[in-house]
Amino acid sequence: MAEQKIFGYADKISVKPGDDIGFYVHADGTTTVEAQLVRLIHGDAHPAGPGYREQEVECDLNGNWTVRKQYTQVGAFLTVADPDGRLALDGSFTLATFVYPNSPGHGKRQCLMGRWDAFGNRGYGLWLNPDGLLEFGYGDGQEVDYLDGEVPLLKSNWYFVAATFDATTGVATLYQEGVANRYNSLLSKVANVDFRSHVRETLRFRPVNPPDVPFILAGAQDFHSLRGRFVTQCLNGKLDRPAVFDRAMTREELDQFRQTGAAPASGQVAFWDTSLGYTDKGIGDRVVDTGPYDLHAEGYNRPVRGQTGFNWNGWDDCYRLAPQQYGGIEFHDDAIIDCKWELTKRLKVPPLLSGAYAYRLWVGDGKGLREEYIVFFVRPHRPTAPILFLVPTGSYLAYANEHLSFDAEIMQPLAGQSPIVSQHDIELYETAEFGLSLYDHHGDGAGVCYSTYRRPILNMRPKARMSSMGVTWQFPADLSIIAWLEHMGHAYDVVTEEDLHREGEALLKPYRVVLSGTHPEYISEAILNATEDYIAGGGRFIYLGGNGYYWNVGYHRDDPWCMEVRKLNSGMRAWQARPGEYYLATTGQKSGLWKDLGRPPQKVLGVGFISEGFDSSRPFRRMPDGWHRRADWMFKGIEGEIIGDFGLAHGAAGGLEIDRYDLALGTPPHSLIVASSGGHSDNYQTVVEEILYPYPGLSGSHDYRVRADMVYFTAPNNGAVFSTGSIAFSQSLPYNNFDNNVSKLLDNIVSAFASEGRLPGWAWTAEEKQWR
Amino acid sequence: MTDAAQPVWIDPTDCHYPEAPAREAATNPYLSHQVTWNETRAFKPRMCPVGRLRYYYKWPGHGGALWWRTRYWPTRRRVLQIRGEYNPKTKRREKTIVDKRPIWWALAFLAMILAPAVVPAAGWNTVMSAAAVFGIYAAINLCWMLIIGTAGIFSLASYAVVGAAAYGTTYLAIQLGLPWWLLPLIGALIGLAFGLIIGLPAMRLDGFYYALLTLGVVELCRVYVVQSREFGSATGGIYGAPSYLPASLGQMPRLLFSYYAALALMVFALVVYRFIDGKRLGRVLRMAPEKREAFAQACGVDFVRARIMVFLISSTALGSIGGFYACHFGGASPNLFSFDTVLLSLAMLVIGGIGRSEGAVAGTAIVVFIDRVLIDLGPLRYILIGAIMLGVVLFLREGLFGIKRQFRTWRDKKKSERRATRAEKGGEMLPEEATETEDKDQIYFRRFDKMQRDFLKRLITDAVIEEHRTRPLGQHSEALERLLIYFRRQGQVDKYAIMVLEEFRAYRIVALSGHRGTAPRVVEDRNYASPDEAYHALFLRRVQDLLES
Repeated sequence: MAEQKIFGYADKISVKPGDDIGFYVHADGTTTVEAQLVRLIHGDAHPAGPGYREQEVECDLNGNWTVRKQYTQVGAFLTVADPDGRLALDGSFTLATFVYPNSPGHGKRQCLMGRWDAFGNRGYGLWLNPDGLLEFGYGDGQEVDYLDGEVPLLKSNWYFVAATFDATTGVATLYQEGVANRYNSLLSKVANVDFRSHVRETLRFRPVNPPDVPFILAGAQDFHSLRGRFVTQCLNGKLDRPAVFDRAMTREELDQFRQTGAAPASGQVAFWDTSLGYTDKGIGDRVVDTGPYDLHAEGYNRPVRGQTGFNWNGWDDCYRLAPQQYGGIEFHDDAIIDCKWELTKRLKVPPLLSGAYAYRLWVGDGKGLREEYIVFFVRPHRPTAPILFLVPTGSYLAYANEHLSFDAEIMQPLAGQSPIVSQHDIELYETAEFGLSLYDHHGDGAGVCYSTYRRPILNMRPKARMSSMGVTWQFPADLSIIAWLEHMGHAYDVVTEEDLHREGEALLKPYRVVLSGTHPEYISEAILNATEDYIAGGGRFIYLGGNGYYWNVGYHRDDPWCMEVRKLNSGMRAWQARPGEYYLATTGQKSGLWKDLGRPPQKVLGVGFISEGFDSSRPFRRMPDGWHRRADWMFKGIEGEIIGDFGLAHGAAGGLEIDRYDLALGTPPHSLIVASSGGHSDNYQTVVEEILYPYPGLSGSHDYRVRADMVYFTAPNNGAVFSTGSIAFSQSLPYNNFDNNVSKLLDNIVSAFASEGRLPGWAWTAEEKQWR
Repeated sequence: MTDAAQPVWIDPTDCHYPEAPAREAATNPYLSHQVTWNETRAFKPRMCPVGRLRYYYKWPGHGGALWWRTRYWPTRRRVLQIRGEYNPKTKRREKTIVDKRPIWWALAFLAMILAPAVVPAAGWNTVMSAAAVFGIYAAINLCWMLIIGTAGIFSLASYAVVGAAAYGTTYLAIQLGLPWWLLPLIGALIGLAFGLIIGLPAMRLDGFYYALLTLGVVELCRVYVVQSREFGSATGGIYGAPSYLPASLGQMPRLLFSYYAALALMVFALVVYRFIDGKRLGRVLRMAPEKREAFAQACGVDFVRARIMVFLISSTALGSIGGFYACHFGGASPNLFSFDTVLLSLAMLVIGGIGRSEGAVAGTAIVVFIDRVLIDLGPLRYILIGAIMLGVVLFLREGLFGIKRQFRTWRDKKKSERRATRAEKGGEMLPEEATETEDKDQIYFRRFDKMQRDFLKRLITDAVIEEHRTRPLGQHSEALERLLIYFRRQGQVDKYAIMVLEEFRAYRIVALSGHRGTAPRVVEDRNYASPDEAYHALFLRRVQDLLES
């Protein structure tokens, strides 16, 4: 019997009672699982805290579920609906495209385009073969005949390639020319590389084009007896302006095509002009065919648009300025946007209290990989409490299924420790179907710019720990806030960033206080606007984390479960976008840091990212402004100056990723620093966006800026912001069963913020006339 | 503090909390990391200039010109297997003939066709009749090579098949008065029948036992024809088969004609060889070499069927050759079944190299030349053949045509031996190693890494290890921090990590694969009760690895 494993995902991350939510479950080695709806309370099993806590919830769907093995289509490609069989080319034909290979060769066959049945050897196609050579071939169901180029295509250079086939003589000709200019490719002309190859050969028979083989760009059809049809031979790299003609083109015509990017009209069957369809607000998955038959192509697993094309000349850095230079559409053979599994169960959400929920699935003893939590959040129909916890689902997506401990050489020096990996981490590393996070690279070396929750997310579940840092991270860490709210008896509602992105400020308006998660790092413009408007309109915001409101991300208009980021030239970044590929394909906006777009987090939250380290945390110590009567009410009931010299994240409240007050970056000038951490280790280095020249002395034991600031300021209309500036802060809350000074401090603030009317200390604002 | 005292490191981060005394830890005296750089002034091994002169012509690539490639009609095979490439040293476009064997074959055929022109008149009879024998034996050996080499069936009965066909066809020709051209066809039928009879046991018997069985069959045939009156027990063979030679020809042209006929027979055998060994059957069988049959079977390869098929086809071809033999020699003799014929032919295969057509042909040429042309040497010939065979068995791995590969393997072995003596373990790259490194950055990395490791080794002291034990994470003394930063920056392949067995209870040390999709491997079976214990155990492993490097 196979090892028993269970994985699943839900089609929604945020629901209201009465909504439908679908669960999609994959099981190995079993056909039934025991399902139980649970309300998640605390997610960190650290012995210094209260331990893992959940509440079982009655639900009609509880009990045994019948489950099965599910298959996932990995890899991005374009499909073409061709009901009339226009592309079943039985006579002469030509296939042509611009291509920028990311990893040619390496023993992998990559299909550029074709109507190819890899299982039955039928149809035709144009490939990069396992040696990296351009290859044209076809099959008749028995045999395959092919022709390959003279020299391999080189990584990261633009080429124009074509194959012509003359059905009367059986002569096939390959056309391969480099189209690198000074900007668009890896190698300059000084490298003395001759990219060209023109090979001709008389092939032996004619292709057979059965009607059931689809035309696919950047992939080819395959078959498996259990799984059925799927797509294989996926491309790693960019295509630009692929075209199909129903006659053998001459070399002069192809030269013309290469030089202009315009496909000759005569004999055109399809010409997918990948540079069409750009708007100021981005572009979708459809690739327009300008040929006579409207054979438009649809992206599967979201090929990346907004990428530079073969003719990018370096002057315009956005598709909004020169869409004709942005015909590049990039494919990765390990991209996954939506697992599209068969539905296992559908739940009509019962009238549940707002909070974090999960369907807990157990196989057998429910240990290790035999336990799965499919997490979702229930928001109320209408507000039920003055307190709102804003779940940073965008950041959950960003870190979803990260592989850093395994793939990133820099992770151990960055984290100052060796990773502690779990069975789930190893399973994740072994399984391509679970996809990658925005911190990973695709197998071809390109950074991952899309993440979704339509796939099992192994680290968005209670109990999960971030292997590289030895602490809980994101969702399981945020559960410490929920556990605190529960324990302290505060009535609260929960909404997600997905809701806020869609509904805007109106969603926050009814609440007196909004609590953030521990690390709300990935923020769309709509979310940032809503937060800013809410605070300016008299809302009170408690920023319970560090390194928040950092990256500008876009959500896909039709698929809210899909988030996009481009990591640019600044910021603490796991990868870097290529020159010219800085704009989000989903929104049309420049991605990168909000700081670099003129909206540093200090402007709204008072603090912004300054340093990170993962080997130790440090307590806060009250700052002199903590005694000013505008703020000293926060410390009521707290003895001494030290706050949070304990915690579940390396033993103190100030640490992991930490933020600092900075007037130069827009911290409101009347802000107070009420407490700060200090004495951080040298694993805490100053973040790169704050560094102009790196020099010795930018780390915790040298640089005064390396610290977490608790900042408090009042906003118009009785609004206020309190920021902790530290991710570890919230993981100190559960210490000693929530009886500690961090918990006390937060309780003072939440209680005050949740009360109507003026804030405590509002009146102590006269000019100071000191005697001492 | 005196000089002899152990230096003490004070945690700088503790100055933030003046109320409590700062943490102190015993540490090492200061040592500059530049020490190894300053001490190293030259490579330890002698540096030799490297680089190989291109003394031969290399075809340039086609560049923008059209390269019209040709095929052997009507196959998909290209006339020459040519690879286009970039010269890694200049990026010049070049072409390499990957497989030069077609050229050698073409030259060899040309030489064989023209050979009679250079045969001295004095030795004409001897040489030309030997040459014809060469053609026939080469054809037989090629078919036999299919059985031994391709199918991997150790049959010694190939000559028995030829003999049976020769006897049978001669007998039938005498009895029925058949024309010569029917003989190879009838021979093929006899061969097929014979092949069926001796092929079936091959499904059950393996290797040595099957060889013994076939040897028995050969002996049986010999005894039968020696004793059978119909098959000429009295005349030492059966004669009277029709000849393919026109009766009008004189002695010289007869020999010339029969030589070309035998050559044509060899070409026929080569075609058979090519179509079996180089096509589906041959590929299927290469998938299932000896001792890996089970694996092949698990992959869905029906190797037994393929082997029997090859055996039957070869037997048919052998039978047909037997028919030709009868026409050529006008009959058959018990000699065909004799043990020395079998052994002599085995010598031909072994000398040339098992599993190659060129081996079968060249081996036959050598042995036939010694046996039939150097007649003057007398019985010494056999000692010569034996000596060559012995030499081949003793010194060559795959016969004469395996020499190239064997030489390369030997050169590689010598290369690594020499490098092992010259290079320092974990040291810098030698110029000869650098030639094999595409990314020159790696060459510097090796230098840096060596300097770093030599320096770090000097930092490992009990004090440093004790400091790590007391606090694995957080701020450390300079010496310990340097060690840790080096360890953490290592590449991902085989980098140590910790695996949790049970949260906060049991941990174990593993090593990462560095290849996406491959799980880490367990390096020891000890469990550690806390992360700190595991961190320290992992640190000790890294220290040990450093000291051993």
